Amino acid sequence: MTSSKPKIAISAIAPIVLLAILIVFLLGPASTFLQFGIVLPEISIEKVEFTGNEIQATVRNIGPVDVNVVVADVNDRIQPAAIEPDMHLERFETGLVRIPYDWNEGQPYTIGLTIDDGTRFEKQIDAASASLEPNSELFVFLGVIGLLIGVVPIMIGLLWYPFIKRLGKNAFNFFLAFTIGLLLFLGLDAIEEAFEISDTHLASVFNGELLIATVVILSFLGLYGIGNLLIKRSEFSKLSKGLAISLMVAIGIGLHNLGEGLAVGAAIALGQVALSTFLIIGFAIHNTTEGLAIAAPLTRTKSVIGKMVGFGLIAGIPAIFGTWIGGFSFSPFFTIIFLSIGAGAIFQVIWSIFKFIKEGSDSFSSISIICGIASGLVVMYLTSIFI
Amino acid sequence: MERSIQSSKMLYILILIVGVSTLYFVIPSITVAEQTPQTFLTHTGLVITTTGDVIDPIGYDGKALDFDPEKFMKSFDYGQVSVLEDGTTLREFYITARDDQIMEVSPGVFYNVWTFNDSVPGPTIRATEGDLIRIHFTNEGSKPHSLHFHGIHKAEMDGVFESIGTGGKFTYEFYAEPVGLHLYHCHVHPVEEHIAHGLYGAYIVDPKEGRDSAEEFVFVLNGLDTDFDGENNFYAANTIPFYYQHHPIEISTNQKIRAYVVNILEFDAVNNFHLHGTLFHHYPAGTDSVPSGYNDMLTMSQGDRQILEFSYKYPGLYMFHAHNTEFSEKGWVSTFLAKETADDFDNKVEYDDII
Repeated sequence: MTSSKPKIAISAIAPIVLLAILIVFLLGPASTFLQFGIVLPEISIEKVEFTGNEIQATVRNIGPVDVNVVVADVNDRIQPAAIEPDMHLERFETGLVRIPYDWNEGQPYTIGLTIDDGTRFEKQIDAASASLEPNSELFVFLGVIGLLIGVVPIMIGLLWYPFIKRLGKNAFNFFLAFTIGLLLFLGLDAIEEAFEISDTHLASVFNGELLIATVVILSFLGLYGIGNLLIKRSEFSKLSKGLAISLMVAIGIGLHNLGEGLAVGAAIALGQVALSTFLIIGFAIHNTTEGLAIAAPLTRTKSVIGKMVGFGLIAGIPAIFGTWIGGFSFSPFFTIIFLSIGAGAIFQVIWSIFKFIKEGSDSFSSISIICGIASGLVVMYLTSIFI
Repeated sequence: MERSIQSSKMLYILILIVGVSTLYFVIPSITVAEQTPQTFLTHTGLVITTTGDVIDPIGYDGKALDFDPEKFMKSFDYGQVSVLEDGTTLREFYITARDDQIMEVSPGVFYNVWTFNDSVPGPTIRATEGDLIRIHFTNEGSKPHSLHFHGIHKAEMDGVFESIGTGGKFTYEFYAEPVGLHLYHCHVHPVEEHIAHGLYGAYIVDPKEGRDSAEEFVFVLNGLDTDFDGENNFYAANTIPFYYQHHPIEISTNQKIRAYVVNILEFDAVNNFHLHGTLFHHYPAGTDSVPSGYNDMLTMSQGDRQILEFSYKYPGLYMFHAHNTEFSEKGWVSTFLAKETADDFDNKVEYDDII
């Protein structure tokens, strides 16, 4: 056995070595042979911020060759500007273009950058608004927003617990199915949001669509593994199956709320959202249903109030961290990743609840379950209109 | 047991791959150590303090390039002069077309210019009314080109229906008429493309008796569509955006200035010319000896020419630019620096009195 180990190692490494030789060959001796077609440089303006009397644009080289950023313009009128660290951008490198400009609040702007071959790239901003100054006041403000859209509604939703507990089997199944509907909607919602951010903020070179698909599946698989572990343990310990599923739901929703918080914080920071009372109310109504989703699997378990509150916090608090991170340093890449993780987690939770229902009831296609899923979806759709 | 160790190894590999790729793509490369910030005054008067590079079209240095707007505006090509048997003056010119040159048209912006004699605009051809003009044209470009002169000449010298192929030669011959400020350009289809890339120049026919002495400048109003979207990215007088804003044209007060203004702008139907601090007499196409107006604004469509005559009463820095401010903010903005001459003493007193 041991004598074959080097052989195994060689057979593992040999293809890699050959591949490396191929790459060196292609980049070196064969590089002239392979030069056909036109190489088009490309840059992407990822973020535009408005400060005191400056417009700041973050630009990334997303093309196949190095570029120099040589002219900046605002609304197609050339403006002197500075670029840090320097005008030369290697592949994937970013630079910060600072344009001194007395911009007007609420007015749309188009920021353009021209590279050394004379090609101009632009990004439109619907309404200019001052980027947020990171201070304690903003910290508290974002925290309160996170609390209002995350923790508080979930806690309110948990108050349905005594009501669900008194329900008969059919009604109980209805509420579990209702939860599935809610979560299904949340998952789809998160994916849609991720696509939207990918469209507007992420350079095409990152393959936003595939990134979302990859992370959703990874997250599903990861949570699936953890979930199985939890449920397996619950068979040997005092941890009941309902509790395990509820915890899974809470973790899934927590990951989802982290992504949601990131998106909300970023929207505030980028000034894209006129943060109105209606928005907060909308999120509150929407997320109250998340509390219900955590409470429902717990109804066949005893003495759970403390744990339930804990689960509520697991589900809600990430929203606060989300608004902080999103508000202070928006990164489209990470926001998309967290939204996708949340979506994958939620799909895994749906899977767990399905299994939970299946074990507890004889017929899976009962009217109560179908009605439950449908109602959950409809309720979520209606509450989403408020946002 | 062994299996679980194996699977945890797999997990580490997965985490490593995800982690490294995230770092590679997301974290911007940290390239510079701390530098002391420098402060710059930009061409709009705003101040930038930065550790990075300033991108401002102020830094254009004609010396680094083949084209010098300073030199171009005062250069007139009178050709090789000889006298024919009948006493007619013969002016011979050699013009070569190329379309493979890359020129730094604004600091850091490199554009494929198509040139007559390696220059955009091409040389300013100048002759006196009645001279015989003979142009030995060579096309060293990869595409067919031609020379089409405005003015009075025979149809076969019009340079429209006979395009000159790669490596081809053609001799254009015509008498310089009428008096005025004209234009020449390539007339090969698609003409818009050939003009937009730079195949044009000014053509001046002086009256036999000459014009009053004056300080003379040529301003060819043009634009550059560097990304080929059918809109100009840059506008200019004599190709280089913002050039004369940062390199004021020095003149003297009370000195008669004659400006030969040619509009060859593509993509925009109308260009204009606005002079600060004084007014000019203008002569459309320079064909008449009587000015058609006294103004500080000129509106010109594609191919229009005007001769302007003016002088400055007071010293100082005066702008001239497109009053279509889009054009001026994309480069068609220039300045005259009027300096006092010794015999301007009276004006100086007057000037001081006003202040």
